Amino acid sequence: MPKWAMVFDLDKCTGCGACMAACKMENNVAIVDPEEAQAGRALFWMDMINAHEGEYPTVAIKRMPKPCFHCDNPPCTKVCPVRATYLNEDGLVAQIYHRCIGCRYCMAACPFTAKVFNWWDPRWLEGATTCFNPDVSLRMAGVVEKCSFCAHRLHHVNEVARVDDRALQDGEFMPACAENCPADAIYFGDLENKDSQVYKLSRSYRVSRVMEDLGVEPKVYYLARRTA
Amino acid sequence: MARIARAGIRFVILSVAGIVLVAVFIVVKSYSRARPSQPIEYNHKVHIENAGLNCLDCHVHAGDNVAATFPSLEVCRNCHNAEPVSKSAEELKVLKYVAEQKEIPWNQVYQVPDHVYFSHRRHVTVGKLECSVCHGDMKQQTAPVSVPYLAVTMDNCIKCHRERKITNDCLACHR
Amino acid sequence: MEIKRRDFLRLFGGISGALVLHGCGLDDVFDVPASLLEKAKNGSGLESWSNTICSLCPGGCGIQVRSIDGVPVYIRGNRVYPVNQGGMCPLGLNALHALYNPDRVKAPMRRSGDVGSGKWESVSWDDALRTVSEKLSGLRKEGKPHQVGFLGYEERGLMRDHISRFMRAYGSPNYYQFSLTQNDTVAYQLLQGHAQVPAPDLLNARLIVSFGANFLEAGYSPVYYTKLYSHHQERQTKYVQIESRMSLTGANADQWIPVRPGTYGALALGIAYVVIREELYDKEFVRDHTKGFEDWIDRGGKKHAGFKSFVLGNYYPERASEISGVPSATILELARQLGNTRPSLILGDGGAIANTNGTFALMAVHSLNALLGNFEREGGIYFINEPPFQKHPDVLEDAIAKAGNHQTPFAQSEDDSFPLTNFSIESFAKNVVAGRPYPLSVLFIYGGNPLFQTINHNDLANALEKIDLIVSFDSAINETSEYAHLILPDHMFLEKWGEVSNVPSVGFAHVGVQHPVVQPLHQTRHTGDVLIEIARHMGGAVGAAFPLNSYEEEIKFRMKGVYLSGEGAVASQGVRQLWLEYLQQRGWQIGRYASFEEFWDRLLENGGWWNPIRKKRNWASVFRTSSGKFEFYSQSLKASVDRLVDNSGGRQSLHNEDLVLNKLNISARGDGVFVPHHERVPYEDDLPLYLIPFHVLPNRDGQASNLPLMQEMFGYSANRYWSSWVEIHPETASEYDIADQAWVWVETSVGRVKVQAKLSHAIMPNVIAIPFGLGHTSSGRYAKGHGVNPHWILRNIYDPISGKPALEATKAGISLVI
Repeated sequence: MPKWAMVFDLDKCTGCGACMAACKMENNVAIVDPEEAQAGRALFWMDMINAHEGEYPTVAIKRMPKPCFHCDNPPCTKVCPVRATYLNEDGLVAQIYHRCIGCRYCMAACPFTAKVFNWWDPRWLEGATTCFNPDVSLRMAGVVEKCSFCAHRLHHVNEVARVDDRALQDGEFMPACAENCPADAIYFGDLENKDSQVYKLSRSYRVSRVMEDLGVEPKVYYLARRTA
Repeated sequence: MARIARAGIRFVILSVAGIVLVAVFIVVKSYSRARPSQPIEYNHKVHIENAGLNCLDCHVHAGDNVAATFPSLEVCRNCHNAEPVSKSAEELKVLKYVAEQKEIPWNQVYQVPDHVYFSHRRHVTVGKLECSVCHGDMKQQTAPVSVPYLAVTMDNCIKCHRERKITNDCLACHR
Repeated sequence: MEIKRRDFLRLFGGISGALVLHGCGLDDVFDVPASLLEKAKNGSGLESWSNTICSLCPGGCGIQVRSIDGVPVYIRGNRVYPVNQGGMCPLGLNALHALYNPDRVKAPMRRSGDVGSGKWESVSWDDALRTVSEKLSGLRKEGKPHQVGFLGYEERGLMRDHISRFMRAYGSPNYYQFSLTQNDTVAYQLLQGHAQVPAPDLLNARLIVSFGANFLEAGYSPVYYTKLYSHHQERQTKYVQIESRMSLTGANADQWIPVRPGTYGALALGIAYVVIREELYDKEFVRDHTKGFEDWIDRGGKKHAGFKSFVLGNYYPERASEISGVPSATILELARQLGNTRPSLILGDGGAIANTNGTFALMAVHSLNALLGNFEREGGIYFINEPPFQKHPDVLEDAIAKAGNHQTPFAQSEDDSFPLTNFSIESFAKNVVAGRPYPLSVLFIYGGNPLFQTINHNDLANALEKIDLIVSFDSAINETSEYAHLILPDHMFLEKWGEVSNVPSVGFAHVGVQHPVVQPLHQTRHTGDVLIEIARHMGGAVGAAFPLNSYEEEIKFRMKGVYLSGEGAVASQGVRQLWLEYLQQRGWQIGRYASFEEFWDRLLENGGWWNPIRKKRNWASVFRTSSGKFEFYSQSLKASVDRLVDNSGGRQSLHNEDLVLNKLNISARGDGVFVPHHERVPYEDDLPLYLIPFHVLPNRDGQASNLPLMQEMFGYSANRYWSSWVEIHPETASEYDIADQAWVWVETSVGRVKVQAKLSHAIMPNVIAIPFGLGHTSSGRYAKGHGVNPHWILRNIYDPISGKPALEATKAGISLVI
């Protein structure tokens, strides 16, 4: 079974935000009211962490794109009372909106705050929903949502590969963020495939994962020069 | 004590009212949606038996697309051009559409909710299922179907997946 | 049976009263015509991809549009297009929201109320075009075609040619462009003899020092630069960014050197001092290809001091440090690195030139490139040839047009205040108000939003009110088009034919062709076609200047030249630069096509054409100055100043020269005027803080403000949504008792704005910075009423040489909102 994982090369990433926009457009993520957004309820599956390090004038701004980490030992799935979120056999942490009852336990359990909650119904113009990406359903008020690694694209490429009767190739399944990164800083692929770029990079000396000591085994890796 | 009892009674009344309302709502909702009728009393039997057509001749994308697609006017025109080929009054309607170059506004009978990913390609080409598994034996249909042969319910999906040992991972169908 | 859980919850909520769900999201994000909805709803769900070029910014990225049943639903980068190679920026990804924007102008409109009243009535295209043509014909009959002006924005290439052609055939010399990069290139003109923006070879340089050039965010093509930047690690390139506030580029650089606003030139000269003194410069290049480095004697036998003497005499590191606030140790270190690392590259833009001394500052910065011998060298800077477009036959002007074209260009300042430019928004506004040298009767406005972007907001507003007929081609009603009498809406770029070629500073010749990926959603028309139609309405020589029926045919006609030249190739998967060079070396001609039609089809299919192979330029075409060399001592500046002195009475009296130089804000005298040097910015010293505006990637020119996603992402780097902020150093903030997120007034001599403070170590003490792009009073439902526009509280002053708005020349005070 494949094990999908993502690698960010922070030495390449400029923090331009293209991944955030690509994700929003691909996944029909709602845009909330300005006041709501300011209150911290803006919905970003792919978020950008800004951290200032050091003091003037030797200051560094670190920007870090943050999707869902699709942990191998996910804490969020264990608290879901209705199994709306679970780890599937492809290693994706699924979020089934129509099962979700909006208790937000999973949000509380996620150490990376990767999940967001629909406090309100996104109100689009009547009928306009047909001009969204038809591969992703629209969510409603009261459900939790998060980065899916663009799982809907996996359906598509899997189907194409099986019609052609061949195995999936490295790079064929590509989420929207990785597809559009202007710095080629996002790699995506199968960790089980020893020839994949992601596998090789996940063994780089530059690699690290966020809060590794928690033991949740995130499948999102960050590459960065060791500064210390 | 009385106050608590009163609160309890109120709760019960409200709950009952709620349940009744929900029931009414469900009934109204289910009737409010009319059964689809088609602009043309299409006869599948005639087309399959007399004209010798296969499913894919008209539903051209059933094998390679998510939607099987309704036949476009282009498809109908292949046979129904200027002159009628039968004595059917329904055919005249088709010819009218052809003459006016207006697409026939077919109505969808099998509807999958928008949070479900259903792909014909996946079932027809990859899964090698016969159309009749879900759509029944269309050779016998002389009038348009108005009710799905196999109701579009998750139960039916899961049952079939289980029998054929296909994944029942939520993410495989839910999006 | 269908119950949505939403209905269920709502019902329950209604009963218990405990849970009231009401929508709080954004209404009407999309405005999709019914016909498209019908298609999307009942279509077969068939997917298709088509390639075109994004033109939401001048960057010119190739994009692929995904359509379901012909309805565009998603945009991604085009992997084979050489400029962006599949990369995108947030704005480009969001282009569909611009397409479906509910505030688009859907048909021609005529203003029926006062300015800003929002009263518009729709008119038919025929009526609208008749109104315009009659007005234009009338002016021609009266012999006043020159009273028609055309204010463009960032259009380049064929569209600029098209508009020029229209204006020329009609008989007006008044076609101007007001963009954020307007008048940026005067310094290049003075030093190299031509105004072409150099293309820096970021990939091969080992050290890149940028003076204020925020190329990752606000450069000509941010995605192109980001692609190049992403290779910095394996190539071990070092980036050094010099700017007062750390931009995105600064954040990604290896070293950030904060500098006081308005002192970039002094810092560059301080570096030049060390490079010269320690003899780290490229002596061969300086000897062969520059003029005015050493002391020299002119034909009259007069001795002149060279650049070297000036720099060594004036800009020793301690002095440069005193002016710029950069420690002299840093200057020394940086200069030695520059001198000892080859190739090392110098960039200058942004804050370095957006000031009253911008021309001299950029001259000083660009001089470093000459000292390092960077011209026409790997890892240095190149000049890119224009694509070999087929040329139109020359316009045959009739007598009226000839007379009109010979009139003085309108926006040239009467009083010689901006001697080296024919356009400055300041002179333009002043001249309209004063009606000199002649009144302006008709003004076309194409793209852009000058009233929002400019710093002479009030003057320009007054000017616009004085014009008889303003025709705007905007597809939205913004601050500027509120003043229009007539709006003839253009298509959105996904609906039209267009071309984006040779984006300035991109390192190879290229042409991207836009073609409609969706039928126009509304009753809009291509501005190129509208101009053709107006010209034909007028007939005669004007109509005859446009023999082709549409702009689409024009692109095709011009592209024939590219096809016939046999140069370059259609962008495609296999065609990579090395491969092309290999073939070329062996005398192969790449890009062979059986016919023009085949070439054209491939072009549309793949998005564009490019030619990565540069022919070696001879030095005469690199430097087109009168000496044929890089002029440290700018003879053309000398000629301009001499002309001004002559105009004001000649050199007999020293007083005349003083008068001219003072007016140009030049304190230097003698030869020092004409070599790169530092001039003091006339700051108001009674105010404590420097105020600088800056640009962010999602909305760099304020035109993206009506896209809700771009509004939400506007402040993603500062965790702000839909709002402006002011960045301030914690030390400075503590002087005023300002805490993070506190509301403050930022007050200048022009006005004040209320914003939230953001404390940051990534900005110089005593400098405050507000992002540009928000603060709209018009421009649509999502733009209006969010944030503040820093340009509206900036002083109305300019670089007197180039006429460029001095965006960093304002000082401000700050106080807590009580």
